[in-house]
Amino acid sequence: MSSSIELPSYKEQSEDVRTRFAELYQRPIKLEVEGLSKSFTTAKGSVEVLSPISFNVHRREFVSVIGPSGCGKSTLIRMLAGLETLSSGTFLLDGQEPSGPGADRGMVFQGYTLFPWLSVKKNVMFGLEVNGKSGAAVEQEAMQWIELVGLTHAADKYPRELSGGMKQRVAIARSLANQPQILFMDEPFGALDPHTRCQMQAHLLQIWRNVDVTIMFVTHDLDEAIYLSDRILVLKANPGEILEYVEVPVPRPRTPEQLLSPEFLAIKQRLEELIHPKEPERDDEPLPNIRMTGIGDEVE
Amino acid sequence: MTNGKKNGKVTSPWFAIRKDLDARQRLTLSCLSFILPLVAWAFVSYSPFIWHPDVKLHISADRSDVTTVYTAGDHLSKTYFPEFVAAIRSDNLEILASRESGDAESRGSSVRRANLKIMRHISDAAIANDWLTRVEAKEDDLLYGVWRDVAEGKLSGKKVKFSEENLAIINRNWELMSASSPTFSSRDLPEIPLEKLVPQGVSANPVYLPAPHEVVIKGLQDFTFESESDKPSMFDRYKHSLKIVFLGFLLAAVVGVPLGVLCGTFDFFSKLFEPFVDFFRYMPAPAFSTLLVAVFLAHDAPKIALVFVGTFFQLVLVVANTTRQLDRSLLEAAQTLGAKNITLIRRVILPGITPNLYNDMRILLGWAWTWLVIAELIGVKSGLTEFLETQGRWRNFDSVFPIIILIGMSGFVTDQFLSSLRKYLFPWTPDAAEKKHGFIGRFFLWLVDPKAYSTPLNGKAK
Repeated sequence: MSSSIELPSYKEQSEDVRTRFAELYQRPIKLEVEGLSKSFTTAKGSVEVLSPISFNVHRREFVSVIGPSGCGKSTLIRMLAGLETLSSGTFLLDGQEPSGPGADRGMVFQGYTLFPWLSVKKNVMFGLEVNGKSGAAVEQEAMQWIELVGLTHAADKYPRELSGGMKQRVAIARSLANQPQILFMDEPFGALDPHTRCQMQAHLLQIWRNVDVTIMFVTHDLDEAIYLSDRILVLKANPGEILEYVEVPVPRPRTPEQLLSPEFLAIKQRLEELIHPKEPERDDEPLPNIRMTGIGDEVE
Repeated sequence: MTNGKKNGKVTSPWFAIRKDLDARQRLTLSCLSFILPLVAWAFVSYSPFIWHPDVKLHISADRSDVTTVYTAGDHLSKTYFPEFVAAIRSDNLEILASRESGDAESRGSSVRRANLKIMRHISDAAIANDWLTRVEAKEDDLLYGVWRDVAEGKLSGKKVKFSEENLAIINRNWELMSASSPTFSSRDLPEIPLEKLVPQGVSANPVYLPAPHEVVIKGLQDFTFESESDKPSMFDRYKHSLKIVFLGFLLAAVVGVPLGVLCGTFDFFSKLFEPFVDFFRYMPAPAFSTLLVAVFLAHDAPKIALVFVGTFFQLVLVVANTTRQLDRSLLEAAQTLGAKNITLIRRVILPGITPNLYNDMRILLGWAWTWLVIAELIGVKSGLTEFLETQGRWRNFDSVFPIIILIGMSGFVTDQFLSSLRKYLFPWTPDAAEKKHGFIGRFFLWLVDPKAYSTPLNGKAK
């Protein structure tokens, strides 16, 4: 980040942002994580991926988790989704301790994970059916969720016929159809091209506004995290622990133009500092200046 | 890329490293892969200068001092044939010498018997030239007529041409024969010893390499041959062989697929069954043949059991592996959607592995075919193999080849057919052609998961 422009502190919040956060903290706590940790046993002994961490997520909050690779951000939400066992600690969802994976916690994966043998509609109906619903109502309900993600025209297609962005919209619709308490998203737009990615971020914000759902979103893209989130959970690696739980001072509703606003740049600078601390690293060393061309400096 | 341009159309080069050829090139090469071996076979068979280490006899003769009897159609090595011919010529010289000395005339009846034999030696040439049928050629008076007609020049061989030497012998013999009697009568055969026909033949490949046309003709004959009512026709044999292969395979699949899916799904079953199955598959199925006959007695049961033993253990391991290869994240996704245990197996694992499972079954059906011959040999020989065995023993390799080819074709055609069904069965797989919503495919999956397939899509995706 260039520091030639004077940026406000990332803690400086405008009046309506402050009221927004005040209201947000009034809402009931949806997810309460207490001393959660994860370690794997390898041949060389126990490796701690995630130190005990604790944090809360409020109802209808949008929380992003960022951190360098290996910080355990994916492990964290996989544990919360019930796909990995906890090494220690507990977490409460709506005051209850869930066991194993379940329909109350939706998950969207980077790899789409649509069932290739089912049409879009049947994919969305899957969750409803395995949870005991049946009949024509299921199809109707599924079609509503497909409409929500704007894919009514593709309802009878197989996943292989869809683009990456469309697949991920189906995956979101499929998770939301179960009306989960919380939706975990594990780098869901990581495999998409930049343009589709921007579109998907806008789509996701709109969906989130229209549906009563709390979202925990893992990403390594700072812009994405800031653009989408209320708060950002910043983790550090080896072992993974919380560096800071940052409030995003950018007002809502968010628009792509805000990417260059002072609040946006301020929080982005702060996140950069947290994730890439100014320590001498091998990659940061200056390259030796060796000329391999005889022609003048016309490139500049 | 150096793409050649021809008539404005871009053609891809024939030799490009790790590049696919275009459709027409692929088809051409696929056809060639079958045509080339056939051409090679025909080339070796029909060009006498290439290999042909043998002489195939058209006219044979009996050597006086050797008991081995050669008949027309037998193969002699090219080194032995001249010796054989020389021996017959020296026999003829002896016969001529004995005529001079006159001591043969005293033993009339034995001379007549020898002359009858010599007279009958013309039958092979008569059959080959279509002068007589196989049945007619057993009648001495007709053969007698052949001698007369050849000697008088009314008949001349087309397929089997008599050599000058043999024509001279026929003429000389006929002079003696016609002097005794113009028509056949065993009493009126000349009492002067006749000369033997000198063996004639054409160069040929060994008996185990019949020419293509011989194989085709013999195959057609074998398959259209009306068998006696108590013996199986070739189609009965074929049906029987198919039954052994398919029943053995089906049994293996019915037991093996569920077991394999269990092993691939639960580590418990994997560790409980797979080590033993892995060990058992190294024991060759034919080693169990006598045991199987003892347990299942005669008839088809031990044969089907042998195909089963040969296929089952491979099948379990292959299915378990296929099941394990299902994308784990699909299971995780299903779990976060609320699916558990049986639902996971029924609604994710089974439909997820079905396309690969189908491929596995195709390959294992090929395996089952390889056990057919051994299976049919155990206990009471049966089916195509019995025929194969018998004809092989008689060295009728022109009858053996059609059977071998038939077995190969059956396996290959079944496999290609099943392979071509794939895109109709599994329209969602990437290799399925665009816009093909297979009816059979939906039915197939409906069997597994009726709920998900109760409302077919009918292909109106747009």
